[in-house]
Amino acid sequence: MKSVVTTVISAADAAGRFPSSSDLESVQGSLQRAAARMEAAEKLAANIDAVAQEGYNACFKKYPYLNEAGEAGENQVKKDKCLRDIKHYLRLINYCLVVGGTGPLDEWGIAGQREVYRALNLPTAPYVTAMTFMRDRGCAPRDMSAQALVEYNGLLDYVINSLS
Amino acid sequence: MLDAFSRAVVAADTKTAPIGAAEIAELKTFIANGNKRLDAVNAISSNASCIVSDAVSGMICENTGLIQSGGNCYPNRRMAACLRDGEIILRYVTYALLAGDASVLEDRCLNGLKETYTALGVPTTSTARAVGIMKAAAVAFVNNTASKRKFDVTSGDCASLAAETAGYFDRVIAAVS
Repeated sequence: MKSVVTTVISAADAAGRFPSSSDLESVQGSLQRAAARMEAAEKLAANIDAVAQEGYNACFKKYPYLNEAGEAGENQVKKDKCLRDIKHYLRLINYCLVVGGTGPLDEWGIAGQREVYRALNLPTAPYVTAMTFMRDRGCAPRDMSAQALVEYNGLLDYVINSLS
Repeated sequence: MLDAFSRAVVAADTKTAPIGAAEIAELKTFIANGNKRLDAVNAISSNASCIVSDAVSGMICENTGLIQSGGNCYPNRRMAACLRDGEIILRYVTYALLAGDASVLEDRCLNGLKETYTALGVPTTSTARAVGIMKAAAVAFVNNTASKRKFDVTSGDCASLAAETAGYFDRVIAAVS
């Protein structure tokens, strides 16, 4: 899985050399920034259900038509699946914060996403609304430190861009 | 290839759970000890050719038949191949130590190594002995107790890093034996 460390090792391996001082510098740079990412991941993991629920509520509030017959949220089963998907994205964001790259989102979330939503006839706009709400809802220092919030919001924006 | 962080992600994904406080506490220890780890990798990398040639010489000293006609380190061409392989193994061990995970060592170095050595007629007991000497040398560098090559760095407790390093060499020995 792609991260700073694995990228550095792959490059060194391709050249057949031991880790050089510049390789070690890159790893050190990544470790220095890791504290904020770990904080964001920890806080998100602790509140993942509440955060997902808020995002879910926001998208059904903005798009009440989803509740109508024949739409993507017509019954409780479908509503539950919507909430599950939002939580799924948050879990992948939690992984990305830990790894320090977008590898988990790319490999397990975004690859094939468009095709799946098209095949199942799901609208992407409600997901964008949910993610946008969660991004705007985050507040430093109430929820986490400012730097941690920057890392978290960056990944939410990454998901929003992939959906729009 | 995985590192300590992506290993935690893969483990959490099998449970479909986010990475919680317990796992993050372990990773925070990894981050806090990051400079130690980088110093250890630097110490081994900087002395790589010394560690390798010492290990191969030691192996030959204990078994001089290797450099006599018919031995596996005779002539120079095969001795050179032996030194090269020692360096490759040490290189993958340093990658594993840098990543904090053995997957790069297993996938890119050890997978199929025993079969290759068997096919080429390389004696595995000698290989294991040379790796054992490299292990002792590398652990000494990690602990900064190599008598004539002491690094002037802030000292700390590197016991767990040394044990981790020894563990990677043990994997190599187990894979070829």
